[in-house]
Amino acid sequence: MCFKNLPIAFDDEGNAYLKEGLKDPYEHKVVDLGEEQEVLKGLLERNGFIRNIDYDPVTRVAGALAFHSVVDLEKKKVLSTNSMATLFRGYEVILKGRDPRDAAYISSRACGVCGGVHATTAALAIEMALDIKPPPLGIVMRNILLAIEYLYDHPLHLFLLAGPDYSEELVRETNPELIDKAAETKAKNKDVHGYDTVLDIMKDLNPLKGKLYLEALSMTRVAREAYVLIGGKYPHPQSVVPGGLSVTVTASVLNEVYSRLIKFFDYSQKVTGIWDDVFDFFLESNPEYAKCGIRPATMMDTGVWDRPDHYDASFANCDKWGEARWSTPGVLVDGEVVTTKLTELNAGIEEFVEHSYYEKWDGHRFKEDANGMPLSPNHPWNKETIPKPGKQSWKDRYSWDTAPTWDRMPMEAGAYTRMYMTAKAQKAPASKFLENTGTSMKIKVPKHFLPEKTLEWKIPEHWNAFERNRARAYCIPYSAMVAMENWLLAMDLIKNGETKVSVPYEIPKKGTHIGFGAWGAGRGFLTHHLIVENGVIENYQIITPSTLNAAPRTPWGEMGPYEEAVLNTPILEKFDKPEDYKGIDILRAIRSFDPCMPCTTHIMAKDSDHMVTREVTTCACGVE
Amino acid sequence: MTQSLANHFQGPIPNVFDEVHAFWIAGGSCDGCSIATVGATSPSVENLLNGTIPGAAKVILHHPVLAVNAGEAFIEPFRLAAKGELGAPFVVLCEGSIMDESLAAETGGYWSGLGADEDENGDPQPIPSSSWVTRMSVHAAAVIAVGTCATWGGVPAAANNPTNAASVMDLLGEDYRSILGLPVVNIPGCAPQGDNITETIAAVLLFLNGLAPLPEFDELGRPQWLFDETVHRGCTRAGFYEEGTFAEEHGDKECLVEIGCWGPVVQCNINKRGAINNAGGCMNVGAPCIGCTMPGFPDSFAPFYKTPPGTMVSSNISRVTGTVIRNLREMSMGNLNRTTKWDKDGHVPSGWGHVKEPNLVKKVVKYAYQKMQFSDSPKPGSK
Repeated sequence: MCFKNLPIAFDDEGNAYLKEGLKDPYEHKVVDLGEEQEVLKGLLERNGFIRNIDYDPVTRVAGALAFHSVVDLEKKKVLSTNSMATLFRGYEVILKGRDPRDAAYISSRACGVCGGVHATTAALAIEMALDIKPPPLGIVMRNILLAIEYLYDHPLHLFLLAGPDYSEELVRETNPELIDKAAETKAKNKDVHGYDTVLDIMKDLNPLKGKLYLEALSMTRVAREAYVLIGGKYPHPQSVVPGGLSVTVTASVLNEVYSRLIKFFDYSQKVTGIWDDVFDFFLESNPEYAKCGIRPATMMDTGVWDRPDHYDASFANCDKWGEARWSTPGVLVDGEVVTTKLTELNAGIEEFVEHSYYEKWDGHRFKEDANGMPLSPNHPWNKETIPKPGKQSWKDRYSWDTAPTWDRMPMEAGAYTRMYMTAKAQKAPASKFLENTGTSMKIKVPKHFLPEKTLEWKIPEHWNAFERNRARAYCIPYSAMVAMENWLLAMDLIKNGETKVSVPYEIPKKGTHIGFGAWGAGRGFLTHHLIVENGVIENYQIITPSTLNAAPRTPWGEMGPYEEAVLNTPILEKFDKPEDYKGIDILRAIRSFDPCMPCTTHIMAKDSDHMVTREVTTCACGVE
Repeated sequence: MTQSLANHFQGPIPNVFDEVHAFWIAGGSCDGCSIATVGATSPSVENLLNGTIPGAAKVILHHPVLAVNAGEAFIEPFRLAAKGELGAPFVVLCEGSIMDESLAAETGGYWSGLGADEDENGDPQPIPSSSWVTRMSVHAAAVIAVGTCATWGGVPAAANNPTNAASVMDLLGEDYRSILGLPVVNIPGCAPQGDNITETIAAVLLFLNGLAPLPEFDELGRPQWLFDETVHRGCTRAGFYEEGTFAEEHGDKECLVEIGCWGPVVQCNINKRGAINNAGGCMNVGAPCIGCTMPGFPDSFAPFYKTPPGTMVSSNISRVTGTVIRNLREMSMGNLNRTTKWDKDGHVPSGWGHVKEPNLVKKVVKYAYQKMQFSDSPKPGSK
């Protein structure tokens, strides 16, 4: 019984049905944000130390993100937050009326950071809708490609985007008291990274000049070299097709990929060692840092990396092939697994546009899925994208992002969710390199120059900015070992003469065909929902990880993950005058999600009329 | 320009401009061009930004993805540059399509925002990205459109798009000239090969310091030396086309035109240059070209991976001629896979397989062939 808020119940045989006796089963409460704004306005007028802190743009994130907060600089407390996606391009609208074959290449362009993931997710959606099953080598090569994508993506975020916030250069400006302390703190992992003190590490995190910054840049290129050997180019790989890949897999391709992949073995040890040292230092120096960006571990993930002997693209079997993935799909509520089934993950999704620049849509065409599980009128298969640009107003509409929920709860997504779910659920396949203990993931990294080592990522007690980034660092060895495991499988397939990488398929000229693709981006959860009508795309809906994370408030006033994480963030920065305040803590909280805005806003969400019973606090303006 | 600057040169490598500011404005973009730039190796971004290319000015980059500052601290130099008050030379790099903001303004909003101004109530309202391009272009040393969205309109400008998206050239018009007298420079690609971006920037910087001639651009403002040739001409599979053999499905090793490759009519250098550090390249790995560098992308190439009609004529002609050529070549190759000694011995001593000795016809052909080959030059060992 995974749903607490949506009107979906299950009979004794586990079949879902719509709860009876509800006048409007999908009704929800609607909260007026105007009152909160009036209170804040009063506070801002009366108190000089309560200030609007606006970032437009939030930098060192991909894409267009702006963030508004009201901060009490005396009590060092954030009072109110608003997250704004500031770009709309209309990809979902552009996709309507096209040949389904175009979806992979058009939707790839939704995001230049993780275009390959969009292409793959589109391919999966088409495969489900049109019943196309890729051959084993196609599935395995896709896994390698998309594991390598993360090997470029995570170092980029850790060292180029988030990293500077922990560098000597920035910390000296915002928290000089930490510099002396860092100079005295011995680095625990010197044996893998070679740095004596935490300050030595922080100096090499300095933007553009630091050795760790520059090394990460060059490692992102090593990963991309491996990537383009399969994908052709990056971003926007050219070889991802429904039914597999358009790649000639020669021995040379696999050899060249391998010679690059192994460079990530030692790098995995180094990166995890670096960030363990830096984050442990911050958390031990001031335990208040544990509250930076804190929110409950309420997250969801699509899972990623299909098993060649399980994946058949079908909706009928998607719970089975989903749970067989190397990363387990599902939902965590406050750190507990509530489902690992793709059908339940899918049915629980809704999107709301009350505080976004879109109009509501009408209609509720798909009332249930193929198994009879009820679908809300706000479900992506029922949603339509109707942009309506408007004035930015905290009371009303303020973002091009929508507010997606699962079972009426805002959900967080991240690379780390992938690892968290998998470690906790313990459903992933037996592996030469990975072991899931229920409280941790153990990752055996083979020797390269450094000796073999088993790294262990433990599910943390508090879900905060530091733990997000730390987990992302551990996702590097996780992804590298999944790539390794699949590389070995690819070799086995080739030894057995199974060299097909794709299957041909036809676009049916008649009938309605629906599907969804579920695959993880560098930042986690990604779905594409597709309806093909008489051979043409009738509707296309994309929900990205940053759609979830950057969400504005739900109609019932619940904050999106960035908004909530920043609201909970204590102001630990040192400053003399309010004018000197830089907001490093807020920015650390936001950047820990690895925001990636380009593809956040092509979906569109829906309006309201539904019910939500949970009470939520939207704002801390009870103070004063 | 080059001459007058030449008088200022001192030392072995001239540096008239020590620093040039570069403002990166991402409008209706996916950030893919930024990502492509970060992947470049020849030169790399860290070379450009650290000023480690002798003779090229150090680039002070104002880029939202790489900036240390956020919010207004980041935007302030944009404001100065837009007013012509930066006090230093700058170029504007545009990524992403230009949305029709007048359309969004009809309902009081915007499509693409960067930075914010206060409205009459003192509330922040996003500033449309395109307004930065318009205002800054007036004072810019050069405006460089990066990627197919900025150069031609790209996917956001595809049929059915709700934003009326177009290119930087469409926004600024054909009469636009930067203060160096340049129209908009266009580096297309979705995303462009990263080195195409950094190399063009470096070429302009070297020109500014008088080291290099003004780079040549074609009639659409593309760096001529990068986009002169079709991608097919540099394709590792082009030889299969010549011999009339074609891939029938994804994964096959031959020429890809019959499974949807538009390479023979697309101007791009990715097969020659590789995608990253000389690795990859679409058709090299087996992926058909969908024309992402071209103004017609995406609509003129859709549906992707359907056989382009043009190939019906051209590939069938090449099937006919190619079959003849291929057979002749195979015969020559048979001869070339033999050493002089093996010819003399009449036997190939390979343990890997039995190599048949040429029959009389092949021997005659080889004799005739070599007669021609050495007709006016000595055959090795003739003395």
